[in-house]
Amino acid sequence: MDTLIQYLQYFVNGITLGSIYALIALGYTMVYGILKFINFAHGDILMVGAYIGLLTYTALLGSSTSAVWMLAAFFIAMIISMAFCALLGMFIERVAYKPLRNANRLAPLLSAIGVSFILSNGAAWIFGAQSRRFPYPFDDTPIVIAGLSITPHQILTMAVSVIMMIVLTLFVNKTKMGKAMRATSLDQSTSELMGIDANKIISMTFAIGSALAAVGGILASFDFRVYASMGTMTGLKAFVAAVIGGIGNIQGAMIGGILLGVLESIGAPLLGIPSALRDTIAFAALIIILLVRPEGILGKNEREKV
Amino acid sequence: MKKTIALALVVMLAVTSLFANGGSESTAADADTYVIGFIGPLTGDNANYGIRCSNAANLAISEINAAGGIDGKQLRLIAENSLGTVDGAIAAYEKLVYSDNVCAIIGPVFTSPALAVAQRCYEDGIVMITPSATHKDVTSVGDFVYRTVPSDSLQSEVAAHYFYEVMGLRNIACLYAMNDYSQGLATGVEEIFTQLGGTVSAMETCMVGDRDFRTQLGAIRSTDAEAIYIPNYTVEDAQILEQAYQLGMNLPFLSSDGFSDPEIYNLAGDFTDGVIYVGPAQAEASTILTDFTAAYSAAYDGDLPDSFATNAYDATYILAAAIDRAGSADRQAINDEVKATTDFSGANGIINFADNGDMIASQGVYQVEGTTPVYLGSFQVVDGHIVQVD
Repeated sequence: MDTLIQYLQYFVNGITLGSIYALIALGYTMVYGILKFINFAHGDILMVGAYIGLLTYTALLGSSTSAVWMLAAFFIAMIISMAFCALLGMFIERVAYKPLRNANRLAPLLSAIGVSFILSNGAAWIFGAQSRRFPYPFDDTPIVIAGLSITPHQILTMAVSVIMMIVLTLFVNKTKMGKAMRATSLDQSTSELMGIDANKIISMTFAIGSALAAVGGILASFDFRVYASMGTMTGLKAFVAAVIGGIGNIQGAMIGGILLGVLESIGAPLLGIPSALRDTIAFAALIIILLVRPEGILGKNEREKV
Repeated sequence: MKKTIALALVVMLAVTSLFANGGSESTAADADTYVIGFIGPLTGDNANYGIRCSNAANLAISEINAAGGIDGKQLRLIAENSLGTVDGAIAAYEKLVYSDNVCAIIGPVFTSPALAVAQRCYEDGIVMITPSATHKDVTSVGDFVYRTVPSDSLQSEVAAHYFYEVMGLRNIACLYAMNDYSQGLATGVEEIFTQLGGTVSAMETCMVGDRDFRTQLGAIRSTDAEAIYIPNYTVEDAQILEQAYQLGMNLPFLSSDGFSDPEIYNLAGDFTDGVIYVGPAQAEASTILTDFTAAYSAAYDGDLPDSFATNAYDATYILAAAIDRAGSADRQAINDEVKATTDFSGANGIINFADNGDMIASQGVYQVEGTTPVYLGSFQVVDGHIVQVD
């Protein structure tokens, strides 16, 4: 019984972690779906999102201790951070990627790595090197049911992630813009012939992906703290999640994220290996999944066009 | 004739280049300054340790200079960023020793870089005094390596005895990061605690930079451990304390001198309440310590020094006194004089070095109440039993 509770606890923790990875993985996968390009600066966008969220939240809150205002300020800060990151994402795309769209495939990749360094070093320079706490916008006393413990911030993390994913799925599948996005991802030149403005769609993709990263960054800061290099490891894992799920596939990113979080949390105790190796498990899982299904769990095995 | 001129030119060139070499060496040595190097993390997750230590060393130097320097010569500190890594520390070392020609080094701050730099200091014959690298092997490299912080072997011995004999614990768990510092302490405590008859029911590990410790804490929860020993740096410890609370665990936490950095209270807030840690023994309330704390706070916007900064302050004064007695920047002479240090009275009390360069010291035990560490006393292990010294 105790062991069961124990593993349920690992599972709950894994899902929380995984929903953060999933939110960030969406940005990688959407951009890849349309441009066949890995945006390595995406992880640093989440860091910017976390900082903007923290700064706006602290500024909005001032010295107020009203519970309602704390929660409201948190969501306002989240929206402001999403808007800021959306603009930042679009700006980066315009400045650093668009001019290279027809260049060698390596060029935008290197440009992305450059942007990543600029963002993380810039943040270290502006905000200093030390980690900061993101204060909980509510009382974070854990809720313990039969030995299984879950905290309000974990519930918030899961709830916000699920809502964001539902909204995104509805947007992509039910709206005209979403349809245009899917069309561009299938075949950019044909969709342009059908009157779709590919540049607009690409900008929008970056905006949506970056806004989701901002949310991911803010949610991640409860557990990881806010610091200039926070995007590196989290971003890398989210990228792995996107690949596991099948890069380019939105549902795949969600499944990949959750799966990676759970694997990371439960893998070490299940296999009886030292916990320090939990990241090793996550990346070993990537290798195994790629060996068995190179296209990822939900990825389509694209036939070569002749 | 032409040949002779050519030869003369070659000789002249050789001589000048010799002089040039000598010249660059003497910029540090013979001019009106003595240059001391500092190696520590000035950026990154653990920059708090490096910045406070270099601040303290700078403070000591400006005090010495304000009091007229050493025989009229000024001291100067060149602080190099190790990024907290071995590579970074070696690069910093090479710049300081080969290019800046420092006459001695304070640092490195962390154990792994200190182990690497200690080897180089021994080979190159230059004194290093680390204010904070506590791994028992740091000073075992050989001559030229000193520290103003007690060795881990001392710390883990007192810690294990305190947990077993004073607190009456019989079963503990450890959660430590895979770096020399944390691993050294955890395995040291495990060894001695087991020898005493206690049980260590879990040795959980994590990587430096990990942020999620719920899996490890969950594994510890399913054991019979009565307390958890977390000998890590502040970033990890803060996360561990908070996540243990979130998992509904209320086991007492035990920690090490890494916990004496006040940064922990910024990162972990109230979750520090109740933590018992073994750290540097508190010096008897001396005016040197209170003066240092006040001067530090005044110089650095009200920030307070941690115990390592206090050690760096003492290290700087010990070095300055040795340079003064040596009367030159000769690295061997400085080593001889550092070794000859007897009953140096610093902010940490009276300091003497053992033959291997370790500081002779007792250990302090602290219990955190809210966010304030309360001193429980200083302890030494004598004949296999713990004894309270004051």
